[in-house]
Amino acid sequence: MSRIKDLQKNLFGGTTSNARQFGMIFTLVLIVLIFQIWTNGLTLRSDNLIALFNQNSYILILAIGMLMVIVAGHIDLSVGSIAAFTGILVAKSMAEWSLPWPVAILFGLVIGAIIGAWQGFWVAYVGVPAFIVTLAGMLLFRGGNQFIGNANTISVPEGFRVIGSGFLPEVGPDTGYNNLTLLLGLAACVAVVWREFQARKTRREMDAEPAPMWISVLRMAVMVGVIVFASLRFASGRVGTSFPVSGIILLALVLAYSFYTRNTAGGRHIYAVGGNSRAAELSGVKLKRVNFFVMMNMAILASLAGMIFVARSAASGPQDGNGWELDAIAAVFIGGAAVAGGIGTISGSIVGGLVMAVLNNGLQLQGVGTDKVQIIKGLVLLLAVAVDVYNKKQGRFSIIGSLTRSFRRDTPAPPTAPPDAERETARTAVPS
Amino acid sequence: MRKLIGKSMAIGAIAALALTATACGNGREGDTGGAKGDTKGFAADSLIGVALPSKTSENWVLAGDLFTNGLKEAGFKSDVQYAGASTTVADQQAQITAMVTKGAKVIVIGATDAAQLSTQVAAAHAAGAKVIAYDRLITNTPDLDYYVAFDNFKVGQLQGQALLDGMKAKKPNGPYNIELFSGSPDDNNAGVFFNGAMDVLKPEIDKGNVVVASKQTDVKQTAIQGWKAEGAQARMDQLLTSTYGNKELDGVLSPNDTLARAIITSIKGAGKTIPVVTGQDSEVESVKSIMAGEQYMTINKDTRNLVKQTIAMVKSLQAGNTPEVNDTKSYNNGAKVVDTYLLPPVAVTKANAAEAYANDPKLGPLTK
Repeated sequence: MSRIKDLQKNLFGGTTSNARQFGMIFTLVLIVLIFQIWTNGLTLRSDNLIALFNQNSYILILAIGMLMVIVAGHIDLSVGSIAAFTGILVAKSMAEWSLPWPVAILFGLVIGAIIGAWQGFWVAYVGVPAFIVTLAGMLLFRGGNQFIGNANTISVPEGFRVIGSGFLPEVGPDTGYNNLTLLLGLAACVAVVWREFQARKTRREMDAEPAPMWISVLRMAVMVGVIVFASLRFASGRVGTSFPVSGIILLALVLAYSFYTRNTAGGRHIYAVGGNSRAAELSGVKLKRVNFFVMMNMAILASLAGMIFVARSAASGPQDGNGWELDAIAAVFIGGAAVAGGIGTISGSIVGGLVMAVLNNGLQLQGVGTDKVQIIKGLVLLLAVAVDVYNKKQGRFSIIGSLTRSFRRDTPAPPTAPPDAERETARTAVPS
Repeated sequence: MRKLIGKSMAIGAIAALALTATACGNGREGDTGGAKGDTKGFAADSLIGVALPSKTSENWVLAGDLFTNGLKEAGFKSDVQYAGASTTVADQQAQITAMVTKGAKVIVIGATDAAQLSTQVAAAHAAGAKVIAYDRLITNTPDLDYYVAFDNFKVGQLQGQALLDGMKAKKPNGPYNIELFSGSPDDNNAGVFFNGAMDVLKPEIDKGNVVVASKQTDVKQTAIQGWKAEGAQARMDQLLTSTYGNKELDGVLSPNDTLARAIITSIKGAGKTIPVVTGQDSEVESVKSIMAGEQYMTINKDTRNLVKQTIAMVKSLQAGNTPEVNDTKSYNNGAKVVDTYLLPPVAVTKANAAEAYANDPKLGPLTK
């Protein structure tokens, strides 16, 4: 029994394990398995996995920025319009001023930064609620898109399309796989193992008790197994395809922003502001700067997402960005963020986004129409957040727990949740 | 305890995934046959994918039903999909990709945005599927195989001519005041309709016989984004306020029935007499409106014939033959000249409605 307790405590993310997030990972795995069976193995086939990442990387990139905005206690409704506005400007810059495409990408990011500074100024320094500022931005930049593009569709050159529909090149000996994807997988495996040992070392140095060895090994085995599976899948697609470039951009952003929000003072300030802005300000957090940063960061990521979509579509069109804000916000909330701010993680949002993406993809593979897909997605969003709210009211943090409650006959669990789970969701965890 | 059950289940699931990883380390699929351009056809019960725009027009809903039934009768498996109402382009991209994944042999696409599907069409082509553009040409891709549509320039010409005829019948002598509307700028056809109509109207405008009173003659001014009825209604409202305070409006060129009805609603709302309004698509409400003497004309592009022709093309591809085309010169999509089959449209007014819809089970009874 104690072994199982060890496992429970240590397997997923060590002591900072959050049952809510774990619940979403469980749900994701379950949905993948259900569709894998239902579609006779199409779901996990390499070309479908590649398509899944190609289709959703821009939404997931938006979700990263949106998580930070929502954690800080705001919302951003303008991301779709910003993406469309940047998309049309970048497409025009290449078509009419013949900017080389790498310069055009930089140009797009600069546009995002300027728009972000504009919205950040109103939110942080004037104090207009972000809902209003971005609602205005939604109209402003949608109109800007139509004004500049005349509602035309403008195609982009081949080089630019790489960021949206490109793949890693085929290099090296013929192994029957895409070699660079394999290398990427290997690097990820090494990183996982290295991180595990590093974490053990840190705990020892801090005189804390590291997790039992067998748990570390099991955890590494599971992670490495998943990585090996994924990289073999991605590497074995049709010749010329591999892990998509947009997926690599997404991965890099997820790693960088996860580190930022978890391990740096700047990142923790966002949580502090969202949890209790007054308390955070009194503890020395520069409130305005944090608010300005999250809004500006969101706009830059929205511009990047817009460019990736344009690259994938091979053209910028007047319908770009319609409804993206809602997809991104849904991903963040399914991934466990709190509407009031202060709670949520990048990885949770990505998992939330993937749940929606796999659901969408699997239903499409089954030939279910978009009308029904939308109904199902709406219900999933409502249910995911409702379960979360219900559990919080009950002082419980486990989705699985409430699902299996009726099967239980022994005495009820102690009303308090494990202390480590409490700490994860503590609202004003300001590092000194 | 409860958590343990859940967690151990999840661990089991992940471990199972990890195990299959090693078990399924299959090699990669090489180039598929279709990419090399062989014309041997394919199995008679293959999957045929049909990707249509969102359900904003009766025509697309009808086309979807006809494809579902027609492909089934022909012995194929079919997957007919509509794009969602708000995220049309992304939906359609994902749907086409899913069809390729499922191994569809032919993919019929009614594009939501003519220029934003080239990546997916290329992927379909690489996987060996033939791609047929249905009703709307897909631009900027060398991988499109066929295009099947009604002759849309002709549609515009018929609309322009009917507008002139209708106004002459009401008022023998000009000059006539007209207003121009055109369709969504991201739909390749919208410009073709407009140019066809202007081909007929321009000489009359130049003679001064027909006057566009608002002077809005540029396609950018006349366009209605997304073919949305509310867009046309709002534009007509504004034209009436700005231009027709004390002037009589004699005719409106409307590219389709949905917009025509919106325009008529606007004019009725302003308390004006209904001018000659053109249309297209033979939607039920518009046929009723024509029989009631409100809308002047519509175009009958019998969706049944278009779907029938498309399925005939699919069948001949299945048998390994080259489908019949009747235009190999006109439709350049920016990357190649696409082999096209054009069907002739028919102009319908109150006078010939009974005859035109005689074979139509839904519209026929309305004309009696």
